[in-house]
Amino acid sequence: MDMTFDGISLNLRGRQILDAVTGTLRQGRVTVILGANGAGKSTLLSCLAGLRHPDSGRISIGDRDINRLDRLERARMIGLLPQQGDIHWDIDVTALVSLGRMPHRGRWGMSDADHHAIQAAMAATDCTHLAKRKALRLSGGEQGRVLLARILAGEPQWLLADEPLASLDPAHQLDVLDRLKQCARTGAGVAVVLHELTHAARIADDILVLKEGRVIAYGPRDQVLTPDILANAYGVEVHIGTSPAGDMMVVPIRRIA
Amino acid sequence: MIQLRLNLLLLGALLAAMLVSLLSGKVWVPPGDWLRGDLASLIILELRLPRTILAAAIGAALGMSGAVMQGYLRNPLADPGLFGVSGSAALGAVSSLYFGYAISALLLPLFALAGAAIGISLLAMLAGRSGSLILFTLAGMILASISGSLTSLLISLAPTPFAASEIVTWLLGALTDRSWDDVRLALPVMAAGMIALAFTARSLDALTLGEAAARSLGVDVRRLQWLVVLGVGLTVGASVAAAGIIGFVGLIVPHLVRPLAGHRPSAVLLPSALAGALLLTLADSLVRIVPSASELRLGIAMSLLGAPFFLALLFRMRRELA
Amino acid sequence: MIVLLVLTTPAAARPMRIVSLNPCADAVLMHVADPKQIAAISHYSHDARATSIPLRQALRFPVTSGTAEEVLALRPDLVIAGPHVALPTIHALERQKIALMRLDVAESVEQSKSQISEIAIAIGMPQRGARLNTAIDKALRASAPSDKMLIPALIWQGSGMVPGANTLADELLRRTGFRNMSSAYGLKQWDILPLEHLLARPPRVLFTAGGAAGRSDRMLSHPVIRRLSHRIVISDYAPRLLHCAGPSMIDAVKRLSQVRRSLKANP
Repeated sequence: MDMTFDGISLNLRGRQILDAVTGTLRQGRVTVILGANGAGKSTLLSCLAGLRHPDSGRISIGDRDINRLDRLERARMIGLLPQQGDIHWDIDVTALVSLGRMPHRGRWGMSDADHHAIQAAMAATDCTHLAKRKALRLSGGEQGRVLLARILAGEPQWLLADEPLASLDPAHQLDVLDRLKQCARTGAGVAVVLHELTHAARIADDILVLKEGRVIAYGPRDQVLTPDILANAYGVEVHIGTSPAGDMMVVPIRRIA
Repeated sequence: MIQLRLNLLLLGALLAAMLVSLLSGKVWVPPGDWLRGDLASLIILELRLPRTILAAAIGAALGMSGAVMQGYLRNPLADPGLFGVSGSAALGAVSSLYFGYAISALLLPLFALAGAAIGISLLAMLAGRSGSLILFTLAGMILASISGSLTSLLISLAPTPFAASEIVTWLLGALTDRSWDDVRLALPVMAAGMIALAFTARSLDALTLGEAAARSLGVDVRRLQWLVVLGVGLTVGASVAAAGIIGFVGLIVPHLVRPLAGHRPSAVLLPSALAGALLLTLADSLVRIVPSASELRLGIAMSLLGAPFFLALLFRMRRELA
Repeated sequence: MIVLLVLTTPAAARPMRIVSLNPCADAVLMHVADPKQIAAISHYSHDARATSIPLRQALRFPVTSGTAEEVLALRPDLVIAGPHVALPTIHALERQKIALMRLDVAESVEQSKSQISEIAIAIGMPQRGARLNTAIDKALRASAPSDKMLIPALIWQGSGMVPGANTLADELLRRTGFRNMSSAYGLKQWDILPLEHLLARPPRVLFTAGGAAGRSDRMLSHPVIRRLSHRIVISDYAPRLLHCAGPSMIDAVKRLSQVRRSLKANP
């Protein structure tokens, strides 16, 4: 089943944030959402997570409108990793990651399935050794990984991540990107908002480009990552090349007047 | 489990404190006489026992409210008084004093509860259904401000200085000579409030990650807001009805237990209730033991405890920031 | 009209364990009760600033701080309470079915005298009550002015508080030849006096009852008051004379008439 969104429009305080945005998140594939600042990427992600109701348009999984789903069922299916990595209390890492199991947990205590998911999530993000540490004492990078572990622990079918690479060092950035790709490979549908174009090239199967709330391009990676489309989206001239190992590289060169 | 041990420890300390409270008073009543069935046991069973139970219950209610408030607002400096419900409950009680209520012993607490109910409704009306924290805090401050002004107005309009002093004295908070009637009135309301608060536990944990993540985990923020408002309103309303305004318990206690309980908001709730009960019971015993012409007002005792606590907090924060 | 008398024992037996929670009632008891009848008086009577009884006399009696358990421990057969005992305490005593006498603040001489009679009857000493009332009447007669002039006066009770119409102080002023200016200023029964009124229409006499002995009231050292000092006579008035009616009234009218007579001498 795919998540389809059709004609999503949202007007906030007089500004048209999203205008007839249409697209699909396919299971087993990574969709990267690109666009300049203020293009509406985070808002789109909020709508897809069911946190915002669009003024018009429909977001469905299969043929079920996600805004009609039971709150907990939607939470089980869709996981959101918000841009601000808020951690308000100095809880230990295991407790933080366990929060991801909330939509699945019964009334009391945690089942074996819960424990297993938590352990697996922490292993996947290289956080197992942080288990007993306090969340607020971690470095920015460690916190980023722990927050990703939280969302992985929920085993969502759709994983929506809003700029998950901020404050991570290059090695961990690559780890997170590869982890997201892995999630798609194991069957989840992944949508990621990214800024770095080479990162996008690394993991994207499909790309959706937003400009001022409208979709200006949507399709497989190679069709969308072109100099013309990126010039339109960002106002910069880019150079697209290949690394010696064969990875696609997209490098912004200069502003277009 | 650290949690279990902490709670058992607090429970044990609480029971000991309640024993101390039964022993405290200007009249010495040896434990052997407690159940003898005459004057001594009268003092214990009709005066000190309801007072002890009320102190523990109010302390537990305020401690738990404070823990929920801090979890909900994601702010370790939140206090149940922030919602303004203690102010509106106090206004209700003061109105009954102002208009003269020698009619029935129940009138003042009922007026206080009515004031709390009105406060809760006004909060809901002012803050709307948005669930926005800023709006909520503002609405609470407005409510507190209006209640405070109206209360001051009633004090200034009091016909004689003695009536004014009666109102002011009541506002300072006390548990002196409370009876089983007060317990029967306040306890069910507080219990209902604490049950509502208990239901917020899981959602508060989710809020650790911020509102967006919490909602994506399935938290119903509007239901949460209602539970918080209702829970805090009922517990604070009943406390004010029974004892006047007692501050600082809701602020200090969750702070103190949080590092011991592991910082998770849900884990802080029960220890805060127990520690709050402990604190207030001890304070209420203290005001009876301290040698002075008449009992020290409980609200004052709590304020005197609260100020140095805040100073200590300030110094610790300064050190951490330096 | 204000006294609530709940007696469950027949009036034949004289109460021998009286507990008073009110300093004004204490003062009356000192005059009408047999000391052996008193089990305890109020703690205010042991406080030099709040007592209406000579301290040495008060110290001979034990006091309570007003909590129900202290009162109950004394096994009283009569409890006298004023209007400002905490209601939970009152209810606690009522629940134990103890004979409880509640007195309001006496706002007139008549009211005070009838309170004295009721107390005296309740404790089984009616003649002593009558004797006290006679003494009060005698003092009032002795303090009545010799001429019909009503000299404008004001009693200032610290921080600008002024007793107005329908207070005991008002009546005592009238009986000793003064006119209480508070009504002329439009003040209520108890009110705060704005200084402007004082300047616009100064009284002839300003009785100052504020602050502890020797400490001058902040408002009195206001420069404006000093300007008026040649027009106003400022006289001390012991604060305790304003706390209670009863026997204090004797001293009160004595002081007031003393000032009145001195004014007559220097118009």
